[in-house]
Amino acid sequence: MKDDFEDQLRSALRPVDPGNAFCAQVMTRLTASTPSPSPLPGRPAYRWLSAGLVASVAVGICVTWQYQLKRAEGLEARRQLIEALRLTDQKLGSAYRIANSGT
Amino acid sequence: MLNDRHLAQDLAQEVFLQMHRKLADVQSDQHLAFWLRKVTMHRAIDQLRREPRVEKVSMDEALSLAGEVLEPDPMIERRLRELVAQLAPAARAVVLLRYQEDLDPVEIAHTLKMSLNTVKSHLKRSLAILREQVGECVAVQMPT
Repeated sequence: MKDDFEDQLRSALRPVDPGNAFCAQVMTRLTASTPSPSPLPGRPAYRWLSAGLVASVAVGICVTWQYQLKRAEGLEARRQLIEALRLTDQKLGSAYRIANSGT
Repeated sequence: MLNDRHLAQDLAQEVFLQMHRKLADVQSDQHLAFWLRKVTMHRAIDQLRREPRVEKVSMDEALSLAGEVLEPDPMIERRLRELVAQLAPAARAVVLLRYQEDLDPVEIAHTLKMSLNTVKSHLKRSLAILREQVGECVAVQMPT
């Protein structure tokens, strides 16, 4: 008898499915109450850091390019000097031969 | 527990919102279930204590009520639900956790922060009241 009564009580108190509408209401309230996500921690610092890196790289590229430019100019100048010396040597040789042929 | 479907849904939604805010503190499925039961019961009991007690209704009035019950139930089960709804909040919580959630008295004591003896006392007295009043209900319905 006692077990029958308790079984009846369990049956009477069995949970009732609230239905899909309840779930939808909870989700609606959840999204409405959840604040917009805050920016990632350190994002402003990240921005500055990345900007600094980009700037450093850019400066590095400029410096290297200028060095390469000056080096090219120097190499060209050296080449011209060598050519000038060669030409001078040729002319001096010719002059020497002319001077010596007259004797 | 609240004997009002709309109030129960509102309260359940509030509990789920609160749970969502405290999700990081949840340690396991069992912990989550325990937390849900505990918070729901405490909030329901607080809600009931803020409201005036529901007056007992006669069986004829109860049978004529419409709306909240979604499907036809045996008369005794309906009467049992009404009688449980008339129990004091703490006793009602104990009965529901025992016969709806199938918790044992130790788990009920832990959930409601009651002593085990208090839980057993509530169960014993509530069952006696329910059995007596359902017995009267059955006696009234039996043809003489």
